[in-house]
Amino acid sequence: MNLEIFILAVVALPLLTSIFLKISGKLLNELLTNFITINAALLSVGLSSFMFGYIFLGKFKPLKFEFFEWYPSPQIVIEFYLDGLSGVMMVLISGLSLVIQLFSTSYMSKDEKYTKYFEYFNFFVFSMLLLVLSGNFLVMFFGWELVGLSSYLLISFWYEKKSAAKAGNKAFILNRIGDFGFLIGLMMILNHFQTFNFIAIFNSSLISQPKNLDLIILFLLLGAFGKSAQFPLFSWLPDAMEGPTPASALIHAATMVTAGVFMLVRISPMLQFSEIGSLVIIGFGLFTALIAAFAAINQEDIKKVLAYSTISQLGFMFIAIGAGAYVAAIFHLVTHAFFKALLFLGAGAVIHEMHHEQNIHKMGGLRKKMPITSAMMGIGTLAISGIPPLAGFWSKDEILASVFSKGGIYYGFWALSLLAAFMTAFYMGRHWLLIFIKEPKNNLDNVHEAPKNMTRPLIILGVFTIFIGFINTPFFHGLEKVLEETLHHVEVTHLPEGLTLAILAILSIGAGFTGLALAYLIYIFDIISYFKLRIPFSSEIKNLSKNVIYINDFGNAVFVKGLKSASRRIAVNIEGMTIDGLANGISNYFLKSSKRMSYAQTGLVRSYVVYFGLFTLILIFIFLISPGVPA
Amino acid sequence: MIEVTSDWYLTLSAILFSIGFLGMMFRKNALIMFMCIELMLNAVNLTFITASRHLGLIDGQIAVFFVLVVAAAEVVVGLAIIVSIFKKQESASVDMLSSSKG
Repeated sequence: MNLEIFILAVVALPLLTSIFLKISGKLLNELLTNFITINAALLSVGLSSFMFGYIFLGKFKPLKFEFFEWYPSPQIVIEFYLDGLSGVMMVLISGLSLVIQLFSTSYMSKDEKYTKYFEYFNFFVFSMLLLVLSGNFLVMFFGWELVGLSSYLLISFWYEKKSAAKAGNKAFILNRIGDFGFLIGLMMILNHFQTFNFIAIFNSSLISQPKNLDLIILFLLLGAFGKSAQFPLFSWLPDAMEGPTPASALIHAATMVTAGVFMLVRISPMLQFSEIGSLVIIGFGLFTALIAAFAAINQEDIKKVLAYSTISQLGFMFIAIGAGAYVAAIFHLVTHAFFKALLFLGAGAVIHEMHHEQNIHKMGGLRKKMPITSAMMGIGTLAISGIPPLAGFWSKDEILASVFSKGGIYYGFWALSLLAAFMTAFYMGRHWLLIFIKEPKNNLDNVHEAPKNMTRPLIILGVFTIFIGFINTPFFHGLEKVLEETLHHVEVTHLPEGLTLAILAILSIGAGFTGLALAYLIYIFDIISYFKLRIPFSSEIKNLSKNVIYINDFGNAVFVKGLKSASRRIAVNIEGMTIDGLANGISNYFLKSSKRMSYAQTGLVRSYVVYFGLFTLILIFIFLISPGVPA
Repeated sequence: MIEVTSDWYLTLSAILFSIGFLGMMFRKNALIMFMCIELMLNAVNLTFITASRHLGLIDGQIAVFFVLVVAAAEVVVGLAIIVSIFKKQESASVDMLSSSKG
């Protein structure tokens, strides 16, 4: 039996759901919407697990499905491609979307645009599946743009709020910058290879690389930086937290922002030949991981901490790709998706119960009031801090060890990554402690545990967060086997052996524990005022961190204000002189000449008679002198 | 006995035409200007008839019928215009009609 068609079914199902919700939106109440969307999501999970099982049995031999030919020459086909890499992403997306939709049914309840939310949500799932299951760059680009669109729709979901509308615009515009680079990269690829097909391109680039490979990679990287919120295009992600929290969990933590990572792993057969590309990736990834972690330390909004943490963790994935540890990058992508979705949904539950209060300084002591949420978020916090045996430990340690094993300058990169890991543990510790442990300043008596529809998804994700790390440990290379076929011709950085690995693991666990302990000492034990410690430049550092080392302000000053004044100058000087000048000049010319012509109309009938006679005479004269007239 | 040749007719028609044209140029009264136009038209008619007779062809006479028809139609419109001008300014002087002066 031909099972390739089911790839199409996996992609089409969320789209059909979305269209159905769109058409019948007005007729549906919450219960009916839930029924449709949850069942569709269940079916989607079933289908994608089935397909994953199918390729698992086929030893991850890729499945191809050509939907139709769009353009004959150069041949462009709408095609899908299912291998280990897209299989993992497919299961991840459909699985998480099910859990998060379950959560949303409770979180979004009583919202005026309840059905619309699920319509956008399903549309996002469709776009993301299209992106990961694409068989060539063009289809991937379609998915790439559509996730941008649905992300925009969900960020500005509550567009009555001006900040939400603005955040949506910002996300879209910053993504456009990245997409522009991606598009140029695609054109260069088409120009050189005469096709968009992944397999054809990778096969031919294995034999001989194009001369402008570095340039192609750098342009594609720009796209990845935009989508995955890396420096300098990251400032949209914290603003994107204006959207509904479950949407943030799926889009801005677990799936869409990892599209850049996915794309880079997908093009790894090309990427491996570009040393400059790899260095740029690791450099920017490291820088992003550090400044985002630094920024997260002093954020006050419960979601913004998580947003900066997401940026920082994405930085880790980029570090892994730059170091050639593609399996580690995907592994961290998977584990991060689970624990960050868990943290976001936990934050959503807290926000829901706090009646949309998001400032963590106004929370505190919620552990007794919301025991399940606090326990689950605690698991998430430990996981992201890299405490074994939770998911984050395995993946983060694999990244750190892979970077270390490259040697040379990578020792430095490793040390900085370790610093970022330490900072991660510190700010996540602060986050959890301030929300759940610290004595509350305000009266929080009316806060209760979230409803069951919220805690159940949290528990599911919590269980996954504990166990998902075991899919790829130094003792069991599960994920590596899954991706083996995808990375068949790619040189993958492997983990160091034996003692080195153990020492590295101990160091990274140490960084995690130290960070958490330091957070406890500072924010609960209040070590600074207890010992009357004086930290030099503490307020300056705090401001720097709070304002994300002023990158946003810098961007505003240079790009927004600069462009505004430059365009005003262009409008006044250049356009005023040339374009306006030309148009006005022409119209003025006609105005003046017609004014002059109008003097001939004297208003005296007799003068018209004179003209008439005069011209008749001239006419007769011409008639007489012209040849060929019979005399 | 002086023989009346075609030249005489043509001369007469030229004189009539000139009278009409000069009248158009120098008179102010719209009604008189209108009569001058009629004069010019009929001068032309006379030329046509003369030529027709001189050459022994019927074409000129046909043209005259056309001119007469057009002139009749023109009189209808023209007189109506003159009447309305007169109603407006109690005088048929065309010099006062200078609102289309450039």
